Amino acid sequence: MSQPRNVLLLVGSPRCERSNSHVVGKFLVDKLEEKGLVSEEACAIRLVSTRENAEKLWSFVDNADVIVLATPLYVDSFPSPTVKALELIHEHRKAVSPTKSQLLVAIMNSGFPEKEHMDIALKIIRNFAQASNFKWGGGIRVGWGESLNSEPLNEKKGMTRKLTRGLSLASVNLSEGQPISEEAENLASALFVPLFLAKTIIRLVVNPGWNKQAKDNNAKAKMHDRPYAHGS
Amino acid sequence: MKAVIFNGAKKGDLTINSIETALTDQLVEHGWEVEPIELRNMQIAACLGCFGCWVKTPGTCVINDDGRETTRKAIQSDLMVWLTPVTFGGYSSDLKKALDRIIPILLPYFESYHGQIHHKMRYKKYPKLLVIGVQEPGVDYAETFTALAERNRLNLRPSAYAASVFQRSKNPETIPAFVEEQLKKAEVIS
Repeated sequence: MSQPRNVLLLVGSPRCERSNSHVVGKFLVDKLEEKGLVSEEACAIRLVSTRENAEKLWSFVDNADVIVLATPLYVDSFPSPTVKALELIHEHRKAVSPTKSQLLVAIMNSGFPEKEHMDIALKIIRNFAQASNFKWGGGIRVGWGESLNSEPLNEKKGMTRKLTRGLSLASVNLSEGQPISEEAENLASALFVPLFLAKTIIRLVVNPGWNKQAKDNNAKAKMHDRPYAHGS
Repeated sequence: MKAVIFNGAKKGDLTINSIETALTDQLVEHGWEVEPIELRNMQIAACLGCFGCWVKTPGTCVINDDGRETTRKAIQSDLMVWLTPVTFGGYSSDLKKALDRIIPILLPYFESYHGQIHHKMRYKKYPKLLVIGVQEPGVDYAETFTALAERNRLNLRPSAYAASVFQRSKNPETIPAFVEEQLKKAEVIS
């Protein structure tokens, strides 16, 4: 593949710019911009509802040499608008038979700390890439994504050091038209603390955090309600 | 006993419609009450990932549309069937929009289950789950599809479960036997 010029960040989260998916994808795309690529951004949920929107989606994809799909894990796969976007892109590419080589990179993020939760979702995106004539650019799995708190990634912060180093390495590969290296994939996919510690923190800190959020919404007493139990 | 069928097919999908018919016929024959739902005709907005169903209106999605009804029907059933064209190894967008909206049937809290972190269960009992995908000729996504269904099983913990792929190229006359086999695997009939 020749030197790529254009990169598209396609955000799969319905929260679009406010999402952790955007935060991670944006960091990678910013690094690619530093290397001379021109970037565009699109959010799947805004581009799948009408034919006119779908044409915008196709135009974004057609223009890009590198597509970064950054999406959260929803029910073991990715959100329905992202599935719809993949269906539409596939339909378009079957009709137009693209000739230029394009790289597709996936960044998954999940609230669960184990990377394995995201394996099947990544496999589905890889299947899509193959079926739709994209060159597979690699997949990054960001566990415990909620800990990013939708804040821009900071290279100097311990919590995001591995992730940012991995994404920076990935940007070097992609800027040369190459899939991201195994080293970059592994580094970007590494948790910032050992898994056992992440699991402990999640149980001891994150679980009470749900109660705090419910309390703020005057819903704490209802947290265990079963509104659809038989007879309700 | 109640069964709900989430049909995630596009309009005019004869294979999936035939599977739905065979499922309905065989379940009714065994005394089940069956409700097929053509998801493409339902007004179900995309899940917004807002967690409102966990921390604002626990157990109920904040979006008031058909997504609430499909979730209610799912948890009140004894058998939930997901029917879908195999879409790159996953589910169609029409099925997925309904599945994304059923997360209020879980609690937000995390716990360790089968060695991994999963959400805790909200309800005491969950329906049996049967997942059937219809695959186009020329591709082989069956392994990915059944692995996805297996992940769903770990997260939704149905009382019984089966998942399988039917090849669209197969003779439609084999559908009733295929469906019978799946219902047996899901411990719905013996």
